[in-house]
Order: sequence, then C-alpha cells, then structure tokens
Amino acid sequence: MTVEQDCVALDQFPVGMRVLAVDDDQTCLRILESLLHRCQYHVTTTNQAQKALELLRENKNKFDLVISDVDMPDMDGFKLLELVGLEMDLPVIMLSAHSDPKYVMKGVTHGACDYLLKPVRIEELKNIWQHVVRSRFDKNRGSNNGDKKDGSGNEGVANSDQNNGRANRKRKDQYNEDEDEERDDNDDPSSQKKPRVVWTVELHKKFVAAVNQLGFEKAMPKKILDLMNVEKLTRENVASHLQKFRLYLKRISGNQQAIMANSDLHFLQMSNGLDGFHHRPIPAGSGQFHGGAAAAAGMRPFPPNGILGRLNTPSGIGGVRSLSSSPSSGMFLQNPTDLGKFHHVSSLPLNHIDGGNILQGLPMPLEFDQLQTNNNKSIIPGNSMAAFPSFPSTQQSSLPNNNSHLVLQGHPQASPSAFPGHQINKRLEHWSNAVSSSSSTLPPPPAQNSNSIMSHQFDDGSSSYSIPFCDSTIPLAPAMDTNPRAFYRTTDLDSNANVQPGGVYYDSLQMRQSGNYGPTTDALLSSNAKEGFIVGQQKLQSGFMGAEAGSLDDIVNSTMKQSQGDLSEGDLGYGGFSSLRTCL
Amino acid sequence: MDALVAQLQMQYRNYTASLYQQGFLDDQFTELKKLQDDASPDFVAEVLSLFFEDCVKLIGNMARALDQTGTVDFSQVGASVHQLKGSSSSVGAKRVKGLCVTFKEYCEANNYEGCVRCLQQIDIEYKALKTKLQDMFNLEKQIVQAGGKVPQVDN
Repeated sequence: MTVEQDCVALDQFPVGMRVLAVDDDQTCLRILESLLHRCQYHVTTTNQAQKALELLRENKNKFDLVISDVDMPDMDGFKLLELVGLEMDLPVIMLSAHSDPKYVMKGVTHGACDYLLKPVRIEELKNIWQHVVRSRFDKNRGSNNGDKKDGSGNEGVANSDQNNGRANRKRKDQYNEDEDEERDDNDDPSSQKKPRVVWTVELHKKFVAAVNQLGFEKAMPKKILDLMNVEKLTRENVASHLQKFRLYLKRISGNQQAIMANSDLHFLQMSNGLDGFHHRPIPAGSGQFHGGAAAAAGMRPFPPNGILGRLNTPSGIGGVRSLSSSPSSGMFLQNPTDLGKFHHVSSLPLNHIDGGNILQGLPMPLEFDQLQTNNNKSIIPGNSMAAFPSFPSTQQSSLPNNNSHLVLQGHPQASPSAFPGHQINKRLEHWSNAVSSSSSTLPPPPAQNSNSIMSHQFDDGSSSYSIPFCDSTIPLAPAMDTNPRAFYRTTDLDSNANVQPGGVYYDSLQMRQSGNYGPTTDALLSSNAKEGFIVGQQKLQSGFMGAEAGSLDDIVNSTMKQSQGDLSEGDLGYGGFSSLRTCL
Repeated sequence: MDALVAQLQMQYRNYTASLYQQGFLDDQFTELKKLQDDASPDFVAEVLSLFFEDCVKLIGNMARALDQTGTVDFSQVGASVHQLKGSSSSVGAKRVKGLCVTFKEYCEANNYEGCVRCLQQIDIEYKALKTKLQDMFNLEKQIVQAGGKVPQVDN
C-alpha cells in the first residue's frame, strides 16, 4: 500500500483530492493508482478491504473518496461500500470487471455513487471528483448554507466546511485554528464561519447530562450551556448540537419503530412502495448517494402511521405526527420540501465534528433527504425517490411543523428521541440474545447513559425520557455491547440500519469508551476520541443493523418473508417504543 | 549511430504494430503506455510483470480447482477467471482476456473439458504474450541505449 503525502494545496480541488483505492488484484491496483496520479489526485492503495476500513476509521478526514473493487477475497466490495457509507459517509465508487447490470444495480442500491467497469479509463477517473462535490453540495444544501459550498475560505469548491467531514479534513490542514475552536457552520443560518467545536465524547456526555437534567423537552441551549459549563462553548454550538441530537433521536426512533413494529407489514408496505429498496441505514452524513439510497430504504420501513402515531405524544411532536400521517415510510425522504426542512434542522450534526462524524450520524435523515431530493433523482433514476413522491402529500404539511419543532428547543422531537433509546435498547438486547455467539467480545460500555436509559425506558416505561445520550447513569452496556458486534456483522443488513441511528448514537459514546467495538472499531475508537461520538454512531448503526444478518438483500427478503423472525427485534423495539412513548 | 537508432525504431514500430494487429494487445495497452512518463519510466514494464505474476498465480488456482478429484468447484474456478479477466483487460492483453470470457462461460456451464481446454490455451497465450512483450521491451532498451527515443506506436 502506498501512501502519498498530501502536498497539494487544498484549494486546488479537484487536484489533490484524496482517494483510497482498494483492489485485491495488484495489476489493476497499480494501474488504478497510476491513473489517479495522472488525474492529480492523492492516492492511497491497499489490496485488502479490511486494511482499507482501518485506514478510513483511523481518520475519517483523511480521504475524500473511495474506489473499491467488487470481488475481493477478504470482504465483499458491496459490504465495504455499505460500511464506508455508514461509518464515514464518503462517496464510494465501485469497480468491477462485471458488466452485468445486476451488479451495477447492486452497487447502486448499496449506495455507490458510481460504478466503473474494468478496464478503467482515465477519462472516467477525471470526473470522479464530482461525486465529492455533489456529496458536499447536498449536505450544504440541506443546511441551507450555500456559501459554505464555496468553502468560503476553505479549501476549494468542493470543500464546504459544513457537514462534510471531508471539507473539515481539508480545512484542518489550512486551518490555523485548533480543532477545538468553535465553528458554527451549517447550523448557523448566517453561515458565518466560526471555529468548529469538536463534540468529543466527554463534551457530549456533559451535554447529555445537561439535557437530562433539564428535561429533554425543556432543554434550552442557554441552560444547557450553563450546566455544561464548558469554556469557549457558545450557545450556538449547543443549539446546533441539540438540534442534531434531536434529529438523531427522532431518526432513530423512527427507524427503530419502522423496523421493529410490524416490520414485516411495514416493510412490505415500504418495499412495495420503494420497489425493493432495502432498508438502508441512513449513513451518517449521508451526503452521498449512498446515504440517500439508504435513507430512502431505511425510511421506508418506517411505518409512519404505526410508529409515528406512537411517537406522537401529547406534547405534539409535530414532526413525528406528520410523518406518521404520510402513507409511506421514509418520512424523512418523503418530500423534497420536507427534506429541505430537515436539512435545516440537521445542520447541527454536520458542522460539529471535524471529521464530521457527528454530522454524519445525526444529519442522516436530513442529509439523506437532501440526497433524496437533490441527487437521487439524478443518481438513481427511479430510485427510492421516485417512490417517495407518493408519500409526500401528508408529509409536507407535517414536515414544516417538524422543522419548527426541531428548531424550537425542547420540542416534541425529544419524545421520539427518547423512544429510540428504548427501542434500540430492546433491539440490542434482543439481538444480542439472538446472536450472542457472533458478538465480538465487547466489554460493557462504561456506564454509558444511553444504554441504561434505553433499557430503562423500555422496561419501566417511565416518564423520563430515556434519551440515550442524555442519561449518563444508565449504562446501555448490555445492549450496546452487542451493538458493536452487530454493527460489524450486520452491516450488510440494511434493514436494521434504520434502527441503527438511534443505537449508533448511543453506542458510539459507549463504544468509544469501552472500546468495545471489536477489531475493526478499535482503530476507530482510539483514533476518534474526539469524533468518537460520531464514529460510534456510525458504528452502532451498522452494527445494529447487522443484527438481523445477511446482506442487504437478505434483509429485505427476510423482512418481507419472515417478518416474524427478523422482526423480533423490531417487535421489541416497537414495544419499547411504545413504552417510551408513554414516558413522554 | 543515427542509422542504427532509426533502424531500431523502425523495427520497434513494426513489431509493436504487429502485436496490435495480431490481437495480442489492444487500446488499453496504449493507454497504459500513456501513463508512463519521466516520473515512472518503467511503468508499463512494472505493470506487465505484475500482470504476469497474477497470471501464474491465477492459472495455478484454476488448475488446482479443476484438478480436484471429485466435484469441481466451478465457482472457484470462475472467480479466478474473473479476476484474470479484469487484470488482462486492464493491461490490454486482448487475447488472454478473450479466452477468459470463453473460459467463464464454460465455468458457468460447468463444462469440465471446456474449462480444461481454456486453461491450457490461456497458459499458452499468456506465455506467448510475455515473450513478445519482452522482445518489445528489449527493442526499447536498445533504442535508448543507442541514444534514440522510443517511438509512439498506437495500434
């Protein structure tokens, strides 16, 4: 594997774009490397998918794009694709000698932003940077920060400093500021560039503790800020983070429910609507196509009526309710307009972490939506997006409310968030029980809040929210433990992905601390102390999803056919969800 | 000296052109040559040697898979063929690639004899290509040693 020093000025994008090339065939890899060099990209190569993952996890900001072969001995290229999309939210281009359309389709459904046939020609590689731009563009669009895209002051065009972890990466090089400096990117409508706050695990814990103390719905950024008592943290940072957090929880709860509750039924509904798009976990920072696809898929299973209905607490979660009203799942994806709204809301996550980890995790629904609306159409003709439009009508009305809810602090969103914890918990437990054998030995996460909270909620149905993140006291450990494993294992399983978001969110915190990720996560965990939050999230997601087992296709099939079995988790989650709801 | 260089160059041109004409090489090889520059002066040679290494390895895999007493795992053979197809198409080894396509079909049809035949042919073919390319590289070296520049031959 060769590593090239990134000497090219960042603002010369696409020159100097950092590509990670993965192919077990040394001949092809060598040629690819040379071609990419010719295009003036920075190239890192490896002939092992596992090594590639390690590299990516080591530092999410190290690469802008991944090109991977499909047939590899140590890991299926599609699986790597999913993992990358989930964890790192990087655009991935598939490469193969298979010209069979079904492979291309598989690539698309697994979230690849492009599929190239061998032999690769340089002309094709000359334009791959567009995927990086598009990904960032979508993220930016979501958060409504047009000027960000220009990378106002950041690296070149494609490097918007917002959501995009990549942008952050590049930016870092240029930045004189510390990474810990606060930066208010997407979240701030004014689009001002401020130092970016890195939401480390510790910071997030404080945040969660503060929110918990105040009560999820009542948590106001100012109060949270005061409680947290962290220097250099501004109200805007907290507000932004809170927004993302809420979205995240919302997303998770939605996903969980979708998956858990009547998953078979929902799934069928969804699959019918979406034309076989499987559940795809919403990739963190799903700026890519992948994310979009995933979101769509993920969303689908979400039975708006069933789950959302439950989610709707008396507090009147506008967003949630509206979602449920929509005939189809994929509430997030439903309307482009809605998506836009979500984007606003989710801007938080995007901005926070350097690597955009958090962003990746949180903004999923939003970003995904963006993708859906913006790109999906272009990227995947007739993809889920197409399916979505059918739902929109109800969504639209609801979404705006949602957004407003989200914006308002202490919004009903909180309730859904609470749910996810439960559901995720339940599911995790369920899953772990089911797959105890497979689990990698993850040490119980240190009294992580989320775990305990979730389980707590689920079991007690207590009124307190068990917002996964918020409750630091209750260790999610048992459930969480399984997550990491699940994460890895099941990454293939898209269906579970939906549920993931919530779980991921929590898990990330826990995982990081406990380092339970398992072999693959170790690198990630250690290196992502800061970004652990996000990273963990992502991991959880995949892990969680994986619980079910099998590839995406399997999940889809299984969900459709075996709803009972596969949905067991979902059922639990669903139930959990309801209990959560009562809490709210 | 110039006469020698000119002669070598012509020889080189003809030889290389014939490789294309006889189907040993295709456009992809031309593309590969374009990637060779001062920064990587032996790029083509490097890649081709990697390719031939792959050939040896993959053909070995195929032979082993086909040599099973009992049921032959055609999917395993097919996997190796697929990979060889990918690399041969990437270097521009046209004949080898063509054989891989046929070979793959035999694998899918679980046609043992067909597979064995293809394997033998591929073995012959890649070795022939290797020899031809070595001759071509030698000519290049001679031209450079004689003080000349290797001419561009694109098909």
